[in-house]
Formats: sequence, C-alpha cells, structure tokens
Amino acid sequence: MGSLNDDTPNGARMNINVTEADGGVTHVVLDGRFDIAGAQEADPRFTALAQDSTSLVVDLARVSFIASLGVRTLMVSAKTLIRRGADMAVCGASENVEKVLRSTGFDEIVPLYPDFTSAAAWLTSRRAEFASKKP
Amino acid sequence: MSAPGPQTWSRDFPGTIEAAAEAEAWLMTQSGALGLAEDTEFALNLCLEELFINAVQHGRANLATISIWAEADGVRLEFVDDGGPFNPGDAPAKRISRPGEDFEIGGFGAGLLQKFSRRMSYRRSDGRNRLLLEFGATLSPTQVPRRR
Repeated sequence: MGSLNDDTPNGARMNINVTEADGGVTHVVLDGRFDIAGAQEADPRFTALAQDSTSLVVDLARVSFIASLGVRTLMVSAKTLIRRGADMAVCGASENVEKVLRSTGFDEIVPLYPDFTSAAAWLTSRRAEFASKKP
Repeated sequence: MSAPGPQTWSRDFPGTIEAAAEAEAWLMTQSGALGLAEDTEFALNLCLEELFINAVQHGRANLATISIWAEADGVRLEFVDDGGPFNPGDAPAKRISRPGEDFEIGGFGAGLLQKFSRRMSYRRSDGRNRLLLEFGATLSPTQVPRRR
C-alpha cells in the first residue's frame, strides 16, 4: 500500500500513508489538516480500511488540526471495525487534537496512545486474547 | 454584545462548504497578523469550521460574515449568518459516553464551541444569527491594542 495523496503543495491537503506492520497491524499515518477538505479526502480510504483491517493504528502525530468532521471520519471507521470484531487505536495526537477527541468522547470507544509502539502492542495483545478464547 | 473595535478584519463568504475552507485560510492569515499563540489559532479555526458547517448544512445559510479583532484581554470572532435561528450556546454538548458499537455519531459541534471558546454571546436580529466568541489570547506586546 502507498500514499493516497503525495501532493501537499501548501499544507492544506491530507497525506495518507498506509503500511502493514508486524503482527497484522495496519499503520495509517496522516499528515496535514483534518479539516473539511482533509476529511473529504480521508473518507473513502478509511471506509476501505475499516472493511479490510483487523488491527488498525491511526497515527495523528503529523496532524496539526482536527474538527468534528475529522472526528466523524474516525468514528465511522471505529464503528465499522467494532461491528466486525476488529480493533482500532489512535496514537501521537498533539495536545489540541487530543482535547478535541476527548471532548467528543472518542476516547471512550478508541484508546489513545502516545506512540505507535504502545498502540501496536495493545492491539497485538487484544488479538492474542481473542485468539485464546476461540473454541 | 460589544461592537467591533478599530482593528477589525471582516469579510463575507457564500454559504457553501467550499467557502468554509476559504474562510479558514482567510482567518489563518488574520490570526497570523495578530501574532496569536498556536492554541488560540487552533481554537479560532475549530470554532469557525463548526460554525460554518452548522450554518450551511443545518441552517441553510446563503451568506456568512466573519469578523475578527483583538482586545486587551483576548480576541473576538463574530460570525453572522442568514440561516435558521440557532444558538449553539443553548445546544447540548453531546459526547459519546457509552462504549460499544451502538454509539451515535454527530452533533459534537456545539460542545466543541463551548469547550474551545472562553465565552459565547448570541442574538438574533434582522433575520440573522449573530454569535460573538471570545478567546483568551497570548498577544505579543506590540499587538495589544490600547483600551478606549
């Protein structure tokens, strides 16, 4: 998988880079502003990721801004993943971005981690726990 | 509601989602000129986006007028639109409070406005919503206007 959009001429567009990490964890790195335009660009990619992923980490370390439409994109994906029995975590949010996520209650359904390593570790342990409970 | 001060920047925007991005870019230019702290810029942009979406998608506004100015104790953002009557200060601050798959998505804008602004004042006049938002801002000493 690669970038959805490698063109960020004025910092206004959202760059989305998706890689497969160890343990079946899908690492989505967003780079840009998760505003109206950013959410419009991210929506179709997140729709596909929510259908295909088992363990999804959304890395917001390079996201400088988010508003309710961006949160909505993440929530819709989280809902699809939860219904499929899959998991999602968010990492790297700045203080302001985290404040937005917590204000909407997003952290009640998706855990927030400071970095990718800790988020991936949580997801891997969740999958191991799930697998051990399978008959 | 206090009247805009002498250092006021103001501009009209059409009531379209496309214009919201244009308004945000304009606001960033103005807040940059005011020398605002990063947190204040973030809050201003967030509130503007939420107001624009509300006015266009729910209020069916055709026109929005945005004004920004600095005062000694912070920054003011006034958002005037010709959409249906709506006071976000009266709207519930919705947030997800129940884990699980049945959570409801949407309606977070009013809560974000309340969380990221210091104060909101609303009035309806001449068929328009007039919302004044106050933000506590760190201004450089040269940017702080004198009290009148």
